[in-house]
Parts: sequence; C-alpha cells; structure tokens
Amino acid sequence: MKKINIIFSSLLLAVSLLVTSVAQAKDIKIGVSFRMLSDVGYKHGELIQDTVAEWNSSGGINGKKVDLILYNDECKSEKGVANATKLAYQDNVHVIIGSSCSSVTLPMVPVITKAKVPQIIPHSTSSKITLTGSEWIFRVPVSSRFYKIVQAKFTAENAGTKIAHIYVPDQASMDFSKSMIAYVKDEYGVDPVYEAQAGEKETDFRSYLLKAKATNPDALVCSGLVDETVRCLVQSYEVGIPKSVARVANSVASKVEVPTNAGKAAVGVSYAAAFAASDTRPIAKDFVKHIKKRYGVVPGHDFSQMEDLLTMLKPALEKAEKGFSGDLASDRKAVRDSIAGITNFTGLASGPISFCAAGSPECRDGNRTPVMIEYTKGGKNWKTKVAGTVTFNASAGL
Amino acid sequence: MLLKTKKLMKAFGGLKAINKVDFELPANEIRGIIGPNGSGKSTFFNLVSGVYEPDPGSYIEFDGKDITNEPPHKVGELGLARTFQLLRLYQDMSVINNVMSGYHTLVPYSFIDAVTGRKKIWDQEKNIKEEMMELLSFVGLADYAELNASELSGGQRRLLVLARAIAGKPKLLMLDEPAAGLSPVNVDNLMKILMRLKEKYGLTLIIIEHILKVVMDTCSKVTVLDHGEKIAEGTPTQIKDDNAVIEAYLGKKMDDEEMRKALAV
Amino acid sequence: MDKFKEIIRQYPFLGFVIAFIILMLVPSVFFTDLYQSHLASLICINIIVAAGLNIVKGFCGQVTVGHVGIYAVGSYTAGCMFLYLGSGLWLTLPAAILIAGLFGMAFAIPSFRLEGPYLALATLGGGEAIRLFIENGDFFMSTYGISNIPQPIIFGVPFDTPDKYYYIAMPIMLIAIYFSFSVLRSSVGRAFMAVREDPISAAASGINVKKHKMLAFVLSAMFAGGAGAVYAHLPPGYIHPNNYTVIEMVTFLAMVVFGGLGHIWGGIIGAIIITIVYDLTRPLYEYQLFIFGLTIVLTILFMPKGIGGFIDKYFIDRRFKTKTGAASK
Repeated sequence: MKKINIIFSSLLLAVSLLVTSVAQAKDIKIGVSFRMLSDVGYKHGELIQDTVAEWNSSGGINGKKVDLILYNDECKSEKGVANATKLAYQDNVHVIIGSSCSSVTLPMVPVITKAKVPQIIPHSTSSKITLTGSEWIFRVPVSSRFYKIVQAKFTAENAGTKIAHIYVPDQASMDFSKSMIAYVKDEYGVDPVYEAQAGEKETDFRSYLLKAKATNPDALVCSGLVDETVRCLVQSYEVGIPKSVARVANSVASKVEVPTNAGKAAVGVSYAAAFAASDTRPIAKDFVKHIKKRYGVVPGHDFSQMEDLLTMLKPALEKAEKGFSGDLASDRKAVRDSIAGITNFTGLASGPISFCAAGSPECRDGNRTPVMIEYTKGGKNWKTKVAGTVTFNASAGL
Repeated sequence: MLLKTKKLMKAFGGLKAINKVDFELPANEIRGIIGPNGSGKSTFFNLVSGVYEPDPGSYIEFDGKDITNEPPHKVGELGLARTFQLLRLYQDMSVINNVMSGYHTLVPYSFIDAVTGRKKIWDQEKNIKEEMMELLSFVGLADYAELNASELSGGQRRLLVLARAIAGKPKLLMLDEPAAGLSPVNVDNLMKILMRLKEKYGLTLIIIEHILKVVMDTCSKVTVLDHGEKIAEGTPTQIKDDNAVIEAYLGKKMDDEEMRKALAV
Repeated sequence: MDKFKEIIRQYPFLGFVIAFIILMLVPSVFFTDLYQSHLASLICINIIVAAGLNIVKGFCGQVTVGHVGIYAVGSYTAGCMFLYLGSGLWLTLPAAILIAGLFGMAFAIPSFRLEGPYLALATLGGGEAIRLFIENGDFFMSTYGISNIPQPIIFGVPFDTPDKYYYIAMPIMLIAIYFSFSVLRSSVGRAFMAVREDPISAAASGINVKKHKMLAFVLSAMFAGGAGAVYAHLPPGYIHPNNYTVIEMVTFLAMVVFGGLGHIWGGIIGAIIITIVYDLTRPLYEYQLFIFGLTIVLTILFMPKGIGGFIDKYFIDRRFKTKTGAASK
C-alpha cells in the first residue's frame, strides 16, 4: 500500500511540474526544422541563431525575448513531421521556419495547418507545397513553377531548342528537367534531343554525355545535386562537347561548391536563382561581405532567402505582438495575419516579396522574380554576372 | 534389421573415407564401432544421419525405409537420433529448452495453432515440459533446468546431449564418443545412466568410443573400421583376438599379456 | 501475485486484454499534448518492426540488414493501393502484410547458403535495391513521395490526428506482439533458437532448418510490412524513399540489440527506449549520431545481451538459487 502511495504521489508531482512548465512560457517562440547535415546546412542554422541572438540583445520583440528551438530533420519526412508536431503541440511555438527539402516541407503542411501554426519556408521550392491551399504556409523563395518557365524560356531563346537533358533521381532535379521539357514542347513543339536519368549519386556521366554529344545539341542540361552537377559539367568537357553548347544547371548551381569545384567547366553555366552574389546593390554587397567574414563562404540564395525571411519576420512579429492576448491559438493567428500582410518587401531577393490573406499559390509564393545568372569565371575566385530578371504575374505556371 | 547399409561409400577427393561398408544392426542391440583415428567412424555416422550425402551406389535403410539421400531432418524425424563428437549443444539456450527442442518432431500441435496461441497449446506445452523435466531428473540435471547450457560443467554437458537426443524418443541412438574427456568415475556414471535409459526407452544403440573398456563392457557386438573399411565384426572377445584388429591398432602382434594391458586402458 | 501470474500463464490472451485496457487509458492519464501521441504511435510502429526483427535476427540468428526495404514494401503497398485503388488501412494492411511476406521469402533464399557478414551484405543489397527501385519508379511517385494517404474512419469518426491515430496503431501493435509471443514461446520459437545455435545439431533433432529459416524471414517480413502500412497511414500520411535508408535500418537493429537479441521482450523494450531517447536528444542534433554510436558500442561491450539479457540473468539466477536451496534442505 505504501509503495502505491509513493508511486502515485510522485506521478502527480511529475504531472504538475509538466503543467507548470508549459504554463510559464511567456516568450515568443520560433521553431526551426532544418536539414543540418552538411557544412552549409549547419551555417544556415548558425545564421538563424546569430540573428535571433542579435534581436534579443537589442531588446527582443517589443521587449519580449525570442526563444529559438532548432531541430534537425536530416531531409527526412519522418523527422520533419515529428519536428512539426513537436514544435506545434509540445513546444508551443508561435511560428515555424522550415524546411530545406521540399519532400520534408510537403508533409509538414497538413500538420501545421491542422495545428494552426504559421510556417514560413526558407528554401523549399516545389510548387506542390503552396498548391495544398493551406492558409498557414508562406514561401520566401521563388516557386519551382516560376523557375521552370524562366529557365526553359531563357535557354530556348538564347541557345536554341535542341536540348539534351541529364538528370538524377532527386525530386527537385527531376522536376526541373521534366518541366523544362514540357514547357519547350508546349511553347515550341520540340522534344528534347536526348533525355537520360542517371543513377543516384552517379559518378560517371560520360556514357550519357557521349550519347548526348552525338545528337549535336544547342544546350546541355545537367540537373542534379551539387556533386552530380559538378561532375556532369566537368565531364561534358572531357567527352569533348564544344564550348558553344550552352550549359544549364538547376538552382543548385547557385551553391558555392559548383563554381569552386567545377573550375573552368562552370564558365557559361546559367541558372535561375533568387539572389546573385554579384548583385551590385549596396544592401547585397554588405550582405555578401558580412557572410564571407562571419561564415567564410560566398552566400548563394539559400543564405539570402534565410536572411530575407528573418528580416521580414521581425517587424511582422512586432506588429503581431501588439495584438497578443496570451492565448496561443489567437496569438498564432495574429502572427499569421501579420505575415500575410507583408507586401512589397524589398530585401536581398531579386524582386519584391508580397503575401496576401488567401491560402492560394498566388498569395503564398512570395517571390515572383527569378534572376538568370551566368558564371563568367570558375574556380575559387569565381565570378558571375546577371543575365536578366523576369517578374511573373502571380498565377503564372499554375 | 533396424539399420542396414550396403556398399556405403564416401570419398573426399581421392581419400576414400568410407569404402564399401556393409553394416547390419538388429533392434535392441548395443553395437560398438571402434577403429584408429581417421578410420571413418564419424564419417559413417554423418552418412547414416544424412549430414553427408553418400556417393552413388550406396544404400542405407532404416526401419525398413530407404534413407540414402534423405536430408538430416528427415532422418531425425524417422527416429534416428545421434550425438556429436563436439557435442554441438545449444549454448545460449536454457537446459530445459535444449531438451525440449529435441522433442520437436513429436510436438502435437501445428504451426497455425502456435501462431494463434490457443489455450490448448499451453496445456500441451506444459505437458511437454513436465515430461522433459522428468527426463532431466533422470539424468540428474533437473536443478539446472533454467540455466544456460554454456554454464554447465563438461560432464553435465555430455549428460545434456544424451538427454536431448533421447527427448525425441528415437528408435536408434548413435553416440559419437560419449565419454571423451571424462574421468573414470564419470565414465562409469555415464554408462550406468545410459544402460538405464536403454532399458527405460527400449533403445538400440551404436557407440563410437575410444575408451575400449567401455566398448568391451557394454557392447554385445563390435564393428571395427580401418581406413574406411570394415575389417572385423563380432563379440568383444572375438574382436580382442582378431589379428587384423590388433595390427590396425598396434601395428604388430603381441602376446596375450601385452594386449590385455593395452586394451584395458 | 503468484496466482495472478499463473492465471496469465494459462490464459495468455487475458494478459493482452489487460495491457490493452491500460494502454487505452495511458493517453488520457499521462499525455499532455498531441506530440506525445504522435511519438506513442511511432513507438508502436517501431515495436512492430523490432519485434519482427527479433524473430529473424534474435531468435533465428539470421543477420538481415535489408529489413528496412521490406518495411518500405509495406509502406508503398499501402501508398500505391491508396493512390491507384483508393483503399484505406483495413485493406492496405493485410495486403501489405501479404506482399511483405512474399518479399521475406525472397530474402530468405540467400540465408540457405550464406552466413554472418556475407548474409548481411546480401540482404543489405536487397534492401537498398528496393529503395532505389522505388526512388526511380514513376509508378511509386519516385522522389515526390506519396501524400495524403488517408487515416481510417470508424463509425464516422476520422482518426486523422496523432491522438486518435494512437488508438489505431496501439491495438495493431498489441496484436503483433501477441502473435510474436505465441510463436516464440511455442515449439517453433525453440526450433528457431536451435537453428540459430547449431543448424547441424538442429537438423539431427528433426528440425527442418531451411523451412524454419524461411518461416522466420517470412514472419518477420510480415511484421515489417504491417508496420510499414501503419506508418504510411500515420498522419499526415506521407511516404518518401528517404525514410528507408540504411540509417533507419541501423536504428531498428540498435533497438533489437539494445533491448536484447533473442529475448522475447528484447525488441519491445529496445523500441520504446531508443525512440524516446532519440526524441529527448533531438535538440542535441549535432551529437545525436555520436550518442547512438556510443550506445551501441557500450551495449555490445558491457551488455552483450542487452537489457533483456540483464533481466534474464537476474531472474534466472534467483530461480536457480531457490531450486537448489530447496533441494539441499
């Protein structure tokens, strides 16, 4: 009998402790689910941590401290869903930032929609995410529906319509090539001269490239993750595809590893992105300098999008905080409405970012201005130039 | 005849491990098989129990059935049990589970019964366990039933192997050096238990043994193998006087006194 | 207390009814938020996989590193049946179990000839092949993943939130454990162990070694397949090939090793502890893999039979002492 009493009372104590710890939460909480595997992945995490620490040291959000909860999702949907559920129901965050991979963000959407927590996406580009019609999701980067048009249009107009495609079985890479093929077919009535799917983490593209070379293409599309893209580009010169053939890569070409590792093979490669490090605006120059100094890398658009996200989130939180009632559900709604009210935010991104109230792709794909970038020099001291920007209307590519 | 082999042959490369052995064993006999090292005793066991496949032309019959090319578990099912020179205990299983897995072929319920876990299974399991505990107490291991087999002493292990082989109620039990490495006292003890088991379960036995005293004392008939061939067969007294056997063992003829000494070890 | 134990032993089903009632009450008593329910559902799924893995690895002694592939087969059977036929869990679950069983058969074939590390390599290849096949197949939605796999609706109530889905996953888990206990405590379980300890000796006792290896593989594949289906329907009902890599396989193995290989409770204890520890260390993401590696190494070094072996030792030593004590009196 005594034993049961002890067990029972200790259980009660544990439960009451849990309840009080939940009730004490008064700070503004931001939850992050992120792919923190690679070197760069960690640096994105550091960027958030540093920025939030800065906010807190300069008075926080209207005097309230910001509590940052950072989880790794390893680019796995199982972990991403668990993170979203934990952040929404256990950590009681006001807003979620995440994730890096589209395949993780996609299943997070129904979770945060059901939990009614606003989520703001720093990196995922898959158009499917906003097509879910959730009122709680916001996207800072350019949606894949814009990317695929701009790249196809740019390539067809500047290089020609005889295009050879080599892609790896990664969602973004396949999406990129397939939609480009579809667009060129629709607009110009031309099929690709060559199309091949290489293996995951393929190291030798030469057999594909030789076949592509035999078709005498105007343009060669190497669509893969960083390493595959680099190998495909370098090997395209090894098999003797002439320089006159335009090289096209997907948005991973914006990552610093591509020009650094590809060297000369990167020259002339064009890609669409949301930010160019060669941007001459003072705000962009300062940002590039700051990131270079602090994290030791030249920022691609993954960095700029994260920075933009945080820059626009702070005033939105400040605005929302004024209407906080202390009730989590209504506070989250306030944050959501405040973010939805952001219009024409001009930051580092190539174009203004605007959201609106409806849970539609038109409203929630904030950035509609991809920029075409071309490498003019490869290697460690790589250089780029802006080849042009296009602003689409909100419903383009749907 | 309970066990019969005709022209049993097995060659490993050029080595004829067993060469045209004809062997007959009536029920209820205790047969000893002796022979110098490498004479093919264990190979004979492995051929009969199906561990090795005999060469073409061989014929093995057990209990009226042709078992020449049957896999070992089929032979086991038919009621031919054996022990191994290296014991081959289930080290990481409890003593009682060792014995109970020997009972495998006699388990009355089917696999489907086992999956659904009906109550009758547990009653039957209980009965099996009780029966096996009885067997364990017969060999004197009941107190160690829940221990791992690896925790037993050498002598206990030999008893356990014996119990496991008998658990399946075989018609024929083949023992491969049951007393190897035991002290004389333990050997006597083991033999006593063996004789009691034979009486209780009506076993027929084949024993390979190096300790000739054991063979001479317990076996009614002895078969001698040398270089894979059967060189003699007969009662222990006949064997003792057989010139071929003596030569195979000792390489020369001895007088009676010397030989008695040699065989009495 | 002894009388109670005796009753449970006689009517094993009763134990599961009691466990069911307790587990039904757990959420309302202990859970303070929905995430705990989500975690509980994940634990249930992991328990099913680990219990199955324990059959083939722990009991039958066959090293398999391809199990996560069969888990994926279960998930994708459910996903594709929803995608192309619109089926719900009650149809996809048996189908997933069946198809996973067939894959288990295929995985058993190398075990007839290979052992230890060689078998591990063969099964590893099999598991990875399945994942890559899915990843490259348009039929399986390749790397887009299958989304919106629906949760079951019972009496008009959709079980579409983590707290409700627990009541789907938990009974399925209990049924799986019931089957695993029934099998492992019967002569079949003993035969598995005999095959693990010494196949030659087992054959001499009349145990069909190939048949039992096959049986172990198929059974455990069925567990993995069922778990895969339950996972596919877990809210928000999304599956993606990234979730079925070797890392997940190592996690499942860690559960079985930590819980105790060949111990009837092994997989269950391991699945619970590893899943919870994994969750608690979530904020320490930088050190997570290190912590897990260290756990496995330390377990193998100091507790080679896992927690289950620890419990075994304590209880059995005591039993032996009481027996001999009584005998000496």
